[in-house]
Amino acid sequence: MRAWKEDLKNLFYTLFHPFDGFFEMKFRKKGSMALATVLLVLYGLVSIFNTQYTGFIFNFFPLHSLQSIQLFLLEVVPILLFIVSNWSTTSLMNGSGTIKDIWIMTCYSLVPLILFNIVTTLLSNVIILEEEPILTAFYYIGVVWFCYLIFCGLCTIHEYTASRNILTLFVTLIAAIIIIFLVILYFTLMDTVIGFIETISTEISKRW
Amino acid sequence: MAKKKIIAFLLLLALVFMQEPKAAAYAMNTEDHHYTYDFWGAVLKSIPAFELAYTIDGNTMDITVSGLDDVATGGGRVFLIDTQESRLHVFDEEFAYVTSVKLLRNEERKIVLDENGNQVALTNPEGVWFHESQNEIYIADTGAERIVVLDGDGYYLKRLITKPDNMVGVTQFRPSKVTVDSTNKIYFTVQSGFEGIVELNQSGTFSRYFGVNKPVVDLWDYFWKKISSDEQKSKMTKIYAPAFNNLTIDNDGFVYATTVDTAAEKQVFRLNPKGENVLREKGYFPVVGDLKVENKFIDVAINDYGVYALLDQATGRIFLYDFDGNLVNIFGKNGDLRGNFKAPSAIAWFGDKLIATDKNLRCAYVYEMTEFGKAALGAAKSYYYGEWEESARLSKEALRLNANYDLAYIGIGKYYLMQDDFKNAMYYFKLGNEKEFYSQAYNGSRSLWIQDNFIWILAVLLLLAGLLVYSEIRYNKKKG
Repeated sequence: MRAWKEDLKNLFYTLFHPFDGFFEMKFRKKGSMALATVLLVLYGLVSIFNTQYTGFIFNFFPLHSLQSIQLFLLEVVPILLFIVSNWSTTSLMNGSGTIKDIWIMTCYSLVPLILFNIVTTLLSNVIILEEEPILTAFYYIGVVWFCYLIFCGLCTIHEYTASRNILTLFVTLIAAIIIIFLVILYFTLMDTVIGFIETISTEISKRW
Repeated sequence: MAKKKIIAFLLLLALVFMQEPKAAAYAMNTEDHHYTYDFWGAVLKSIPAFELAYTIDGNTMDITVSGLDDVATGGGRVFLIDTQESRLHVFDEEFAYVTSVKLLRNEERKIVLDENGNQVALTNPEGVWFHESQNEIYIADTGAERIVVLDGDGYYLKRLITKPDNMVGVTQFRPSKVTVDSTNKIYFTVQSGFEGIVELNQSGTFSRYFGVNKPVVDLWDYFWKKISSDEQKSKMTKIYAPAFNNLTIDNDGFVYATTVDTAAEKQVFRLNPKGENVLREKGYFPVVGDLKVENKFIDVAINDYGVYALLDQATGRIFLYDFDGNLVNIFGKNGDLRGNFKAPSAIAWFGDKLIATDKNLRCAYVYEMTEFGKAALGAAKSYYYGEWEESARLSKEALRLNANYDLAYIGIGKYYLMQDDFKNAMYYFKLGNEKEFYSQAYNGSRSLWIQDNFIWILAVLLLLAGLLVYSEIRYNKKKG
């Protein structure tokens, strides 16, 4: 219990002092894997909450065909993809962050998104169409804050300069595309293989 | 024992007579399955608003009909144009044959001769329009490159409008479809003319091209224009008006036009006097007809309360939209059954009836409203004229007949909003997926809530302010 309290305190500190916070996390082992994972799951859950409970006026999602698991994956998988591709590029580009560092840093950075998602969802139920800018503003505050945290975090844990960080982010994007390509390739091939085995087994079972 | 038998018999009798009442005659003559689109673009079952009531074809007169190409109504009559036979057919209110015009006669019933002594006759006319206020029939005499104006009662020639001397541009003077506004200005389309609708003054002099698309120049175009040579520039395709294929005019003097031009951004236009498109598209979707099928609208007809019918050549469907651009109903189709189209060519309102012609089948279909149509269009009508209560009543009636008619929910919601009954309004707007009006209703209900609970809101705010002040004081004291 005490450890959790301490972790939350660190998290709160990191949100407002990203450079110091992530530095402490990396070099003084103040980050918590468990808390980070909880935040990631929370992020997925909040996005479901957001889709389901955004007020009628602003909700353009076909709620009659809402699939929570799909939504959850749709939000969480890109984060995982970012973590993996960033790890694979930075380990080649002299980044000193481990995957644990990247994991904790990314998940901690999700906090503003989680908070502002909840705020906009609740707010969207009590405002009218003309007040939409409020909603947009809140949303973008969350996004900008998130980007800021990610940027600072990457700089800190990989010990990069800003320009090198931007370059790495660009390479990360390319790596992510390659990963997606490989995944699709893998599934397509597996599909063929499974189809082949299926055909053979059908053939065998028909003959004997 | 006997008693039991009698009871059993009575029960049997009751069973026989208790059978479901015959379905109300909402669609006596059609068994078509019709559909509509909901907010999400899903296809839902629907009931047709119109059903075939009567067919006008060659059998009702003694003249060969080779295809009907345009229809106009007015003065209690129906005017049909047969392009191939170069004839104008006139029918009365009961769709009985009145007369036919091919050779043009003057007021003394004598055949008009031109300067060479030839008889003046219609030559492959494509369009007809009845101009109510002047009691005149305008015929777009395409083959002879002129507009023929006939008297509305005697069907004698009043005047011929040929190509005016002051006409500019490269558009040929081959009027295809014609319409006249309340100030007697004549508008006509030219097939595949890319300069817009031609507008003539009452005297027949050229006024202007109308409905020309404003060229939209984006940065990319500008870039290419900048770097290309003069020769290249001259080869670039210029941005023209879409080739309008049909037009009509509403009571307020707005010209409705359709096009099948694939280069055009829209297929249906409502042109204001400046020639800008001001079609209202407040429905779930823009005015495009089907969502997944490409439609080819070849005619549009508008009635007194702004409901317009679009005739689609590709599928033979008729789309009804109200003046806000909400899809009201879809009915009709291409096919081989009675009442189906082969090559639909034109459509017109005739009071509460709709008349659509088919070029191939050489007939005109007269459609009458079904029970559902009466309710749905009645609601649109009374809403247009500001009779909210009647509109809500008819909307409810339409909903009883067709629960997939989402527009009715919105209609009822608007009525409640008018009554400041925000709760009910919100309920119905939610059912009709109408977010804009829901927002208005919610705004009202929220203001009421704030009024009712103002004291509590104030209390909470004061409490927060108090806490803030208190913590400041304590903090400062601590610091010393």
